[in-house]
Parts: sequence; C-alpha cells; structure tokens
Amino acid sequence: MIPPPSISEHLVCLGLNYRTTPVEVRERVAFPEAKVPEAIQEIRQLPGFQESVVLSTCNRVELYATHSLADARDAHDTLIGYLVRRFELPQEQAEALVTYKLRSDEAARHLFRVVSGLDSMVLGETEIFGQVKQAYKVALETGSTGRSLNKLFQQAFTVGKRVRNDTTIQRGSTSVGSVAVDLAEKVHDLKQCRVMLVGAGEMSRTCAQSLLSRGAQSIIVSNRSYDRAVELAAEMKGTAMKFDEWEHALHEVDVIISSTSAPHFVIKPDLIQQVMRKRRWDPLLIIDIAVPRDVDPAVNEIEGVYLYDIDALQAIADEGRRERERQLSACERIIEEHLEKYGFIAPLQGLAPQGQTAT
Amino acid sequence: MNMDQLALALSTLAFLAAVVPALSALKTGDWRRGPTQFISMTVGFLLQTTAIYLRGQEVGQCPMKSVSDILVFIAWSVVLLYFLVGTTYRVSLLGMFTAPLVVGLHSIAFLLPESFPDYPVKDHIDPWVELHAALALISYAAFALACITGVMYLLQERFLKRHLIGGLFYQLPPIQGLAKAIQRLVLLGLVLLSLSLAITFKLETSITNPKLIFAWGIWGLYAVMALIGWRHTLSPRQTAWLAAVGFVIPFISLWLVT
Repeated sequence: MIPPPSISEHLVCLGLNYRTTPVEVRERVAFPEAKVPEAIQEIRQLPGFQESVVLSTCNRVELYATHSLADARDAHDTLIGYLVRRFELPQEQAEALVTYKLRSDEAARHLFRVVSGLDSMVLGETEIFGQVKQAYKVALETGSTGRSLNKLFQQAFTVGKRVRNDTTIQRGSTSVGSVAVDLAEKVHDLKQCRVMLVGAGEMSRTCAQSLLSRGAQSIIVSNRSYDRAVELAAEMKGTAMKFDEWEHALHEVDVIISSTSAPHFVIKPDLIQQVMRKRRWDPLLIIDIAVPRDVDPAVNEIEGVYLYDIDALQAIADEGRRERERQLSACERIIEEHLEKYGFIAPLQGLAPQGQTAT
Repeated sequence: MNMDQLALALSTLAFLAAVVPALSALKTGDWRRGPTQFISMTVGFLLQTTAIYLRGQEVGQCPMKSVSDILVFIAWSVVLLYFLVGTTYRVSLLGMFTAPLVVGLHSIAFLLPESFPDYPVKDHIDPWVELHAALALISYAAFALACITGVMYLLQERFLKRHLIGGLFYQLPPIQGLAKAIQRLVLLGLVLLSLSLAITFKLETSITNPKLIFAWGIWGLYAVMALIGWRHTLSPRQTAWLAAVGFVIPFISLWLVT
C-alpha cells in the first residue's frame, strides 16, 4: 500500500519536548486547550500549508502539517516563525529555541513512536495515546485535516494499538505509586478499597493519591500532628483521625500505607493478628514506606497479609522499567514494519535511525 | 475410528492449541490476553459438543455410562461453565487453566482400556434418570472449576507473599475475588448436585446403590466445604487447598461407580 506522494514528501513535524527544551521555555510555547483550534486554523492558513494538527501536552508541543512548498526547510522555518510570533518570544529566546525538525518518514516514525509511548518520559505510558487522539479530534472538528493527515493519524493509532497488544511495553509499574496501585488491585477490587495513611509523608501522599485516582473508595489519614492529618484529609477528600485512634480502625481498611518517623516498629504481628481475626480473613495490603521501617517484617508471615517495604516497591518499579526497556526493540520493529507497509520507507531498509535532528 | 471419536480427537487438538500458550506463560510468566486461546477453546467446545451428540446417536441415549464417556461429559461441562461463569466472576484467565484439565480428561478417556464401549440396548429411557446423571456430572464440572480457581488462588497468593511480580501476576484476578469465586463455584456445584440427588427421590432406586452412596458422600464433602467457607472457619488459603485437592475424591469416584 503506497500512500499518495504528498503525505510522504510534504509532511513535516516541528516539535519540542522535555528532552530538548526546559520547562521554563516549554510553558511559554504551550498552547492552552481552548486556544488549540485557533492555532490549528492559523497554521493551516500559513502560506503553502494545507493541513495541520497541534499536539500540546505538559511534556511536548508538536506541530504536524502538510505543505506544498518546494523545500521542507522552508516549511520548518515558517512554523518556527509562527511560534515566535504566536508567543511573542523575544529575539534571544527565539534564537535559543531548540526544536526538532522532521519530515516525511522521520515525521511519521516520530508520530508512531509518540503514540506508542516510546518518546514519553515514562517509557510505554498510555496517556499520550489519548492525548494524540484528542489533538487529532480537535483538528478534525475544525476541518484542518485532509486526506493525508487523516490517513497518517489513523495509521499512527493502528501502530499504537499493535505495539500495545503485541508487546508488554505498557505492562508493569515504573514508580512506587503505581506499584502500590497494582498491588492493591491484585488484593482487592479497588473500587471497594478503603485506605489508611499512618503518617503523612510526601511518598505516602503520592501513593494514596495514585490509589484514589484509580478509584479507591475512601481514605483515612492519621498523623501525630492532627492539623497536618486534617489538611491532608481535606486535600484528598478523606477523613482525619487522631494518632491514638488509628489502631482501633485498622480492621476497617484494606490498604495501610505507613510512613511515620518512629524509630521502632509501630505495626507488630500481635496487632495484625487481632485485626485479621476481626476481618475474618479478608486480605490486607500493608505498604511500609518509612525508613526506619514501621512494620515488623514478621507481619508478612500472617495469612492474608501482604507486606511491602520501600525496597520491595522500588525493586518492582526498577524491574518494571527494565522490562519496558527490554521491549523497546520489539516496538521499534513493529513501527518500522508499519512504516514500510504504509510506504514511508522502502522495503529491506531495516531499522532506520530515529532521524531527530535538534537544531 | 468412529466419527464421534474423530470429532473428540480434533477437539482435543483444539484444546491442546490453547494449552501451549498456557504452559509457555506458566514457564515465562509472560501471559498476554489474545483471541487465539478463546478461539481455540470455542472450536474445541463445538467439536466436543458434536462428539457427544454423535456418541449419543450411536448408543441411543445420553452417553454417560462408561468412565470414558463420563470424563468427556465432565470436560464438556467444565468448558460450558468456563464460558458461563468465567467472565461473570472476572476470572477469564480460567481458560488458561481449564484447557490443560480438558486435554487431560480427554486423554484419559482415550487411553482407558475398552474406552467408548457399546451400551446395552434400552427399551425405555427414563428422562429423570438422564437428568439426574447430567446434573450430577455438571456439578462435578463446577467442582473441577473450583479446583482450578483454587490453584489460581494459591499461585496468586504465592506471588503476593514472595513479591514475585511478573507477567502472570498482572493477569490473575484479585486474590479476594478468587476466594469468593471458589466459594461460589462450590455452592453452584452443591446446588446442582442437590438437585440431582433430589431427583433420585422420584426414582425407584435402592438407596444402597453404590453410585448414590458415593454421590451423597461427595455432597457431604462439598456441603462441609461450603459451610466452613460461609462461617469463615478455614482461611481462604486452606479453602483453596481443599477445593484443589478435594476434587480428587469425585474424580476417583467415577471409576468406583462405573
């Protein structure tokens, strides 16, 4: 299947992302959601331009377009000029703006990698797929896409799905917060999951927020400083509990995240034995983020109790990252196969270099 | 080879096709959902149904008299229940564990001496007897699925306790859901077996009939299992072991009663 010459020869992508550009600059040239339709139209109306899609997320700003100019370099220059004018960048910032300028197969390869999560800060993350879909939808609704970009983005979504289905690039957790969520999901139905924070450290807050964002039912916060517990509970729409009361409520929760600054174990086997009797064997996940540890490791010997300390969580996250990296070459192969199938590269060209040229 | 046995052999091959990725997944922990296994299971089930139908035509009654036929009928019921309850209880991975069991049951059925014998011709077929036997065997299938779910529970428990977070871990359902599924499958089997035994009161069958004695014995075993599950007398791990190992008794009883 060979696409019309226009898509492979007149496709350009101008972009900047977390690798090329620091956040202070990225935030200056990010398109607010409400302004994206307007920007798409403006790009399409640039001299020699035909179709356009704007992808603007916290990690990247990318302009995809087709043009009828004689040289792709002219198209890239026009797009840079547009960004400088649109965001009124002073000359020194405009000159310091680092972007990648891609065309034809390089641009298509880049889009395929972006959709598949291979260009993301967290390798293999899935959110970007939805963000690209949304960016395309907005462009489609404003009538700024035509045959070429419609086809390209549909192909990109096909590739993204293939990568997701045929590899394990998106499997596993790469952060302590997401490991906590994965574990909780394998112990309980998360929607019925009640969480208790014992101690209100930053890491435990992150874990609790991850659980809540994935649908955990409720949260109780207990901290030596009751004011801090109230503050955190309010932030997470939970309930605060005085520090001398949390032991009595343990049997009512399904996940305990402990991060006190106590120099000794605060959760011991005797306590958990009593809790499990009250829970009638309902499983309990305990995440001990404190250093020194809050939970006696012997607790893990109790039936129905699953204890993970910070090292265990970190080891799982590290393994998740390594597993994703191992999948990278399989993903690149799928992308190259599709580039060949869609006629962007000639057969037998093999695995081509990434082709990102930052200037 | 008769047509029914040919259909059964082909269905065994289809289930075998579903076993290969399952064994590979167990070895590597790299399990991914895909249509291949579901298609293999569906094809296997259709061929299995055809085999039972043809066998029924051949012997002129519901084929549940010889051990081979009973094993095939149980295997068929296991797959039927897998399709019915697998998704309901969010234990779709049950297929991965069901396929090896079905292949095992079919293989034993083929390997038994004098497998698939001719039946003596019956003048009169009592539909109540047929229903009683069919319900009893479907209840055995529910117990077989409880056994498989028990194995899944024990695996997931091991993964969680020992922090073995890999491919299969991500595919197995929550451990709490598995514990509930075991109880529900035991209860389902118990209800079906109770119905089957209730029918015997309508029949003019002597209570000393060894089949009935065994059936009541198995009913007692699973009734106790359901009761201790309901009263939380045993822990979920002990219940899972009981469901996994307990199935040996109804399985062996098939030889004793035929």
